[in-house]
Amino acid sequence: MRTAAQHVTLARQLAVLLAGSLSWLSATADDRTFQRPYIENDDLLVRLIPRSPDQMAAFYEARGFPQAALDRIRQTCFVTVHIENRSTDVIWLELDQWRFTGDGKPLPRLDAAYWQAQWDDIGLRQASRSTFGWTQLPPVRDLQPDEPVGGNLVFPAATKVLNIEATFHTGADRHGKPIRLGFGNIGCSK
Amino acid sequence: MNTKSASVIVCVLWLLVIPLAGRTADLPPGVMRIAATPAPALRLDNLDGKPYDLADTHGHWRFVHFWASWCAPCRREMPSIQQLVTLLGDTDIEIIVVNTAESEDEAFSFLAAVAPDLVPLMDKDGLVTEAWQPRGLPATYLVDPQGRIQYQALGGRAWERPAYLAFLHGLVQGLTTTPAGNR
Repeated sequence: MRTAAQHVTLARQLAVLLAGSLSWLSATADDRTFQRPYIENDDLLVRLIPRSPDQMAAFYEARGFPQAALDRIRQTCFVTVHIENRSTDVIWLELDQWRFTGDGKPLPRLDAAYWQAQWDDIGLRQASRSTFGWTQLPPVRDLQPDEPVGGNLVFPAATKVLNIEATFHTGADRHGKPIRLGFGNIGCSK
Repeated sequence: MNTKSASVIVCVLWLLVIPLAGRTADLPPGVMRIAATPAPALRLDNLDGKPYDLADTHGHWRFVHFWASWCAPCRREMPSIQQLVTLLGDTDIEIIVVNTAESEDEAFSFLAAVAPDLVPLMDKDGLVTEAWQPRGLPATYLVDPQGRIQYQALGGRAWERPAYLAFLHGLVQGLTTTPAGNR
């Protein structure tokens, strides 16, 4: 007889297999079925969720962001990222170790400096700048065992399909075996 | 053994376990011991407009928690902090919740539903939160009676669980080990 934990493990394994199958189907389909990539193993849980401009604008509008800010936000492509360190060692989130490409070309990530320039341009109030900042994925984090981190990655609006190659160094001194994950066919929802 | 007797024994064991766990157990999951550093300034008005200054409350442990109502892990964790307040009762540790960069309406409408006993400090422009440099929201710091940050919780935690309660009781009773050289 299986225990509840074994059932959960089996369900997870089936989910991973199913996700893998769907990923392959999607990659070969002519019509673009964008993915919500999800990887879970003994080291990491990583989930990516593409957001539509309307979703993001609605989120920030509900937080009191002015129209000028919403207009800038609508011109971009948001992907929400959730990561959990499931290992017993430090895992490094370092966005400069991630490669973003679209149509075979490198894609720029719209980072904190980009947004500061946008907000300076429209004179966004400090509270909104703070809220926006906390909703972004931090560029560097030494994820401790059991530590989660989440936030958004943002790309130019022209981005249609995004591929991510993520490298995570491990160990407090970054000298452990690196973890490399690939995520493909991430769509910028319209 | 009848149910009543069993309940009494469980209660007695619980009372014994709380201080002992604080003395001997490892840190509870997600609580990180850090090199003691003076807590940044925390001078804010609360939701009722009453001023508060962390520097005026030295002499006991402070549980300083930063949150925002839009943050999903914060929303999940806040009921646990409400429970923690109830479970700690008269324990000499002060629970301070700091709302990051939201309006009074946003803070009130959320807390009224899930944590009605908590009156947050309002960091209206978010600058006090940034000075504390949390690793993200939610963020919880444990500040010792001398005003130094000794521990940090990573992400949201189920504070009502025995491991966390035992740890906090251990701090208050001086049973939980503090980092060498930080006493």
